[in-house]
Amino acid sequence: MKRTMIVAGTLLLGAGAVMAQQEIAVQQDNLMRSIAKNQYGVILKMTKGDIPYDQKAVDEAIASIEADVGKIAKTFEVNPKQDVVNATYGSSPKIWQNKADFDSKIPPVQKAIADVKGKITDAASLKAAYTAINDRCNDCHETYRVKLK
Amino acid sequence: MLRRTIPAVLIAAAAAFCCYWWLTAPSALALPARTRAPDLANGQELFNTGGCSSCHAVPNQPDRLLLGGGLPLGSPFGTFYAPNISPDPTDGIGRWSESDFVNAVNRGISPEGTHYFPAFPYTSYHIADVDDVRDIFAYLKTLPSVQGKAPDHDVPFPFSIRRNVGIWKLLFMDRKPFAPDASRSPQWNRGAYLVNGFGHCAECHSPRNVLGGIVTSQRFAGGPNPDGEGWVPNITQKGIGSWSEKDIADFLETGDMPEGDSASGAMRPVIKNTALLKPEDRAAMAAYLKSLPPVDGPTPPKRKPGGG
Repeated sequence: MKRTMIVAGTLLLGAGAVMAQQEIAVQQDNLMRSIAKNQYGVILKMTKGDIPYDQKAVDEAIASIEADVGKIAKTFEVNPKQDVVNATYGSSPKIWQNKADFDSKIPPVQKAIADVKGKITDAASLKAAYTAINDRCNDCHETYRVKLK
Repeated sequence: MLRRTIPAVLIAAAAAFCCYWWLTAPSALALPARTRAPDLANGQELFNTGGCSSCHAVPNQPDRLLLGGGLPLGSPFGTFYAPNISPDPTDGIGRWSESDFVNAVNRGISPEGTHYFPAFPYTSYHIADVDDVRDIFAYLKTLPSVQGKAPDHDVPFPFSIRRNVGIWKLLFMDRKPFAPDASRSPQWNRGAYLVNGFGHCAECHSPRNVLGGIVTSQRFAGGPNPDGEGWVPNITQKGIGSWSEKDIADFLETGDMPEGDSASGAMRPVIKNTALLKPEDRAAMAAYLKSLPPVDGPTPPKRKPGGG
């Protein structure tokens, strides 16, 4: 009986640890998705004319991206050692081998956002802002974002 | 008995070795006469299509035209280091003849007459028009010299024996030049030439067999990243059927995908090259890619642990 309980307890703890790790991966994925929703779902679509230009939506999207980018270093502190189930993209383990380098990619994104904030007034300036910000996102994605399927 | 067996074995071994030597001999291309004057702009366009800079530029510095090499390329067969192809006479290709360069690109043979490892995608480049390759050579000569040699490849035995690459070439390398399809438009043919030749898209976007040869029936249908991490997507219509021709051309220019995302990983450096191409070349590549019939590729692992 005692042995069964120990085994069951260990299994539960193990399962808990696995779930916790998946939880971390999901949190990281959600943060990046939240940025992508604004960057691609709002800003990119507007630059392409898929949705009409909307100053309020632009300002909100930029503010939201700025807030989210500020959370990246902290949210990616722990290596979940697994990908989100069925995700198309995942994190490269290289993030946690070179965490300082990974973190050093964030301030340039913040600078790109600060440079354009409050200066976007039309589709043309939005397009320039999109490219300026996205280029800095790519500097990191080139090394640390992995396509999974 | 033994007295008769030993010579027989020796003769058989010698014959096998001769056979191996003959089969694996690098066969250089005799250079045909130029049909036109060198065209530096064309050389630059094809240099960018070929993505030469992505592997040969000195890593961790911003200038994509400093072709001093040194970038490590992981593979299941070991780590390859991209060599210096700057015009430096000692460490680069400054002393190469045009014939040396054409044989390197179209045949995968070094000026010393040895096989290059197919990490250098001559398996795609071989379809290239010789005059186009000469234009790239002329263009490379205009770039800055960079000193310093890349580290030696870190490839374990038996893959380290370059002569074995001769067998590999017999098995997996086609040597035919590009054959245009007369039933298709000039634009489609241009796209087919760029995608299958200099663009060498199939080198990453196709699964490979255990010996590292492309699985021909699943060409462009995606597969594990040869560099080891993640998955390279299916770019037949099975994978990107929802993308229009314009979506593909736009993607090659900006990296932006119609589903609202942006290229990442190993595709990012590719976009840096294709962004510099003439719009008509991107449109041609898109027209060809859009015409690829849907093919099922291998299935990505359901959940691959990230490791630590």
